[in-house]
Amino acid sequence: MSRLRGVLLGAGSAVAVACAPTRLQVEGRRSPMPQPTTPPVLRAGFARADITPPPGVGLAGNGPEGAESQGYRLRLYARVLVLADGAGNRLALVVADLPLSSALLHRRVAEQTRSVGIGVDRLVIAATHTHAGPGHFFEAAAYNEQGSSVVGFEPVMLDSLTSRIARAVLAAAADLRPARVAWGSRAVWRNTRIRSLPAMLRDVPAPTAPADAPTDLAPEYGLVDPELAMLRVDLRDSVSGAFRPAGAFSIFAMHGTGNANVNDLLDADIHGIVERLLERHIDRDLNRLRDTGFVPRAVFLFANGAEGDVSPAWPPQSRCAVPMLATLPALDGPFTRALWRWRPPPASDLAACRHSAREAVAAVGASVASHAVALFDSLGSALTDRLELGRAFATLSLSDSATALGICSAPAVGMSTVVGAPDAYTRMRGWRLLGLFDIGLKEGSTSRDASGCQAQKRLLVSGLLGHALSKSLPSYAQVMVLRLGNRVIGALPAEVTTTAGRRIRDSMLTAAQEAGLPVTSALILGHANGYVEYVATAEEYAAQYYEGGSTLYGPGEAAMFGRALARLARSITAGDTLPAAAAPPLALVLGHRERLIKRMSLSRAAPPQIDRVWCSGDTLYARFQLGGAWAWPVDSGEVAARARVEVFVSDATRRVVSWDDDPNVEMRLRGRRRGLAWWELRWSGAAGQEYRVRIPYGGAESEPVRCPA
Amino acid sequence: MRYRWSHVTALMLLAAPLTGQFSGRADVTAGGRYVWHGISRAAGLVAQPSVAAGIQIRKFSLDGGAVLHYELDHVSPGELSESGADGPRLGEVDVWGRASIMLGSARLQSGVVHYTFRGDASAGGLGPARNTTEVYAALTSTSTFNPSLEAWWDVDRVRGAFLRASVDVPIIGWPFPPYVFGFVEGDAGLNLGQGPNPARPLELANFARRGITHVGLGVGAERRASRLPRIGLTTLALGVRSQLDLDDATRINGVGRKRDFLVWLWAGVTVVMGGDMRTLR
Repeated sequence: MSRLRGVLLGAGSAVAVACAPTRLQVEGRRSPMPQPTTPPVLRAGFARADITPPPGVGLAGNGPEGAESQGYRLRLYARVLVLADGAGNRLALVVADLPLSSALLHRRVAEQTRSVGIGVDRLVIAATHTHAGPGHFFEAAAYNEQGSSVVGFEPVMLDSLTSRIARAVLAAAADLRPARVAWGSRAVWRNTRIRSLPAMLRDVPAPTAPADAPTDLAPEYGLVDPELAMLRVDLRDSVSGAFRPAGAFSIFAMHGTGNANVNDLLDADIHGIVERLLERHIDRDLNRLRDTGFVPRAVFLFANGAEGDVSPAWPPQSRCAVPMLATLPALDGPFTRALWRWRPPPASDLAACRHSAREAVAAVGASVASHAVALFDSLGSALTDRLELGRAFATLSLSDSATALGICSAPAVGMSTVVGAPDAYTRMRGWRLLGLFDIGLKEGSTSRDASGCQAQKRLLVSGLLGHALSKSLPSYAQVMVLRLGNRVIGALPAEVTTTAGRRIRDSMLTAAQEAGLPVTSALILGHANGYVEYVATAEEYAAQYYEGGSTLYGPGEAAMFGRALARLARSITAGDTLPAAAAPPLALVLGHRERLIKRMSLSRAAPPQIDRVWCSGDTLYARFQLGGAWAWPVDSGEVAARARVEVFVSDATRRVVSWDDDPNVEMRLRGRRRGLAWWELRWSGAAGQEYRVRIPYGGAESEPVRCPA
Repeated sequence: MRYRWSHVTALMLLAAPLTGQFSGRADVTAGGRYVWHGISRAAGLVAQPSVAAGIQIRKFSLDGGAVLHYELDHVSPGELSESGADGPRLGEVDVWGRASIMLGSARLQSGVVHYTFRGDASAGGLGPARNTTEVYAALTSTSTFNPSLEAWWDVDRVRGAFLRASVDVPIIGWPFPPYVFGFVEGDAGLNLGQGPNPARPLELANFARRGITHVGLGVGAERRASRLPRIGLTTLALGVRSQLDLDDATRINGVGRKRDFLVWLWAGVTVVMGGDMRTLR
């Protein structure tokens, strides 16, 4: 009997362990004391890593509407800029085509880059917030398990992103060269709009459009922060000794939600187009490179700003309907009942809104890129070899220090969070109990009893369930203030609304100036070094739109971050190492571990083969076998020298017209068999010529196919 | 004739991959009672395994299947039982076929069910004398309440009509995999011609009188248990059903026993394969 009991206890314990969420304690490796370099000049280095994962992972950011990825369109990159001053102070800026940043990823990368002087306090990993990027590597269980329709924490994703980004930081640090830099900014109108205008209009004083705003703009377009800020970096060419344009770092507030909510391809979204267009401009137009290669040599880090309530200017028809709860008539005979399902909208509707969204992505991308190109070019005459570097870093324990910080002690999600935002409403929006009773699943759903700490927030769940949910939400915030010349940059692990961002910027700039720093401007860098959802002003919070409902720690959060960044702005230092209290260990609950990316190694390297190529209208299709079933497009994470697949004109010129990193190319996985991957390429740019498809690595080439004019 | 059927079957099998989609379904449901058209046929633990297969060609589909009704409990004298026997026994075998067409958000169906009773009439069960065949037509809508109206016509033993109206209303759906759904189901029956027929006094009637036979209400939950990509999926479900009995036939709960109100639990597992199920998440 006792043996049986022991077996049962053992089995029970095994089940409990297997079902328990993954917990992790991660250390904060601070930067060592900087070592002065000779000669004491400003230096900079760029690098990039390909971080496109294999299909099958969830596209995070749209909650339940986030699809399982079926392939990729624009590859995902992490772009790195390492800056070093003569005193040996280094700062590494990473902007990754990811949906959210992660404190876990930040700290894991810092463990590997500390050897080159870049610990947690000198490393910024910011996400572009593309909603077509992978999840499964976040610091909080809620985001791993409710970030997309594919749920779970995947250690392979975390490890792979960590090693790829760390290698890129090390490569940039190894390539530090004398640099000249220039800061500048430019107003970009008509490409973004405020998506929660009723909430913003509650702000006191009432928001007003800047004096230089075009007069014909609707309020939601006129009240955005239009600033595109840019740090242009030119590097000395090792052969000629001349300084050549090398890249830039920018901040611009815009959600990464150009793609339709039903997009099922990994994609860098609008940010990816802006990045590539400026990089090509630098390579082709400024540096006169004839062979610009598959991957541009220039590197443009296009980071997000206070974009919490800022959407790109997508048209309404680019947002697709969402699945509805419906019966599933699956052979339900007279004696068996109908099953239930989430019924998707008609395929033709989805195709139409996907197409509309892609047109918007291209248009907004080209428009913003034209501003970036103009700004970059205008900075050529302002380059200098002086850029003072400094930083201040702190880790806020949001739950444990809530009283001291002036926020609620437990994070909570509002009903309006479940509903989603206009960029991608969820299937829960407008849902009524039994189809009749309004239970508050709508924007602006406020609590009647506003007496608690969470005040107007109508809680999704309360009591024991609310307590359990709060454990899956983040409880730390890593905050940082950087000084880059005459700019201070507040790096926040959040999506800050326009007005909250303006207030935080003002308090940060005032504090820095009071501390005697010769700075003239302040910027907010969002989605940096972690993720604690949204930061709305207290007035916006009271309106309980999506941003207010997603401000986890209550109405005092924006003011709290303003105080925290002001305090950091007063304590910006260089040439030192920070105390251990700045980066205490983080105890993280990551959610359930899932094996989403199979660990498979090919016993034999099968040569690629192209099965079929054909045209239909302006679309060229190709089906082929390429690579291992679960292989990442770039195994090592370094940058590929050539595309995986190319389309070229079948004539004597053999001119390459497209490849698998083109906004007009979709790479869709058709199947995995015998450890190999079968793909379909769709290129929607064919026009009245004869084309061939080739796979450069492996030498496969198709027969020519003529596409109609 | 057999030769001709084999030709038809072979043609369907050959044509199906070109034009239609095959699907299959297997269910095992266990419950505290077996109720059909409001009439309790067995009280106590019952198990009902069933299989079904079908082919869908655009908006048309042809389906067919069979269901077995097992009683798992020991039956005491006077207790309601189909088999009438003590111990686990097969009480009823039903086969059905159906054609249906989707018309926008509505589904129109027409089918036939043949009931074969395996019980021992001398021991209080339902024997072969009860065997019969019904044809039916149903109109189902996939709007908010998923209403359905069914018209049944016994063409063999009773020769009369019975109407059933039902609704399936979702309460909540968990939007992340594994999906969980909560639902309310309600139904009501109306006997139009399956009562005693003075013209044929020897006929075994289903109901005691014309009019509403029962009103039922249930609550259930369904969980997507697993998904096999490109094959199908499995669901688990459980629920509770209640019924207000309004006809003497629906009140019968054994020899000399009647109940106006019934409550029972049920649980089931379903495997569906092929067709749209291959890609359903």
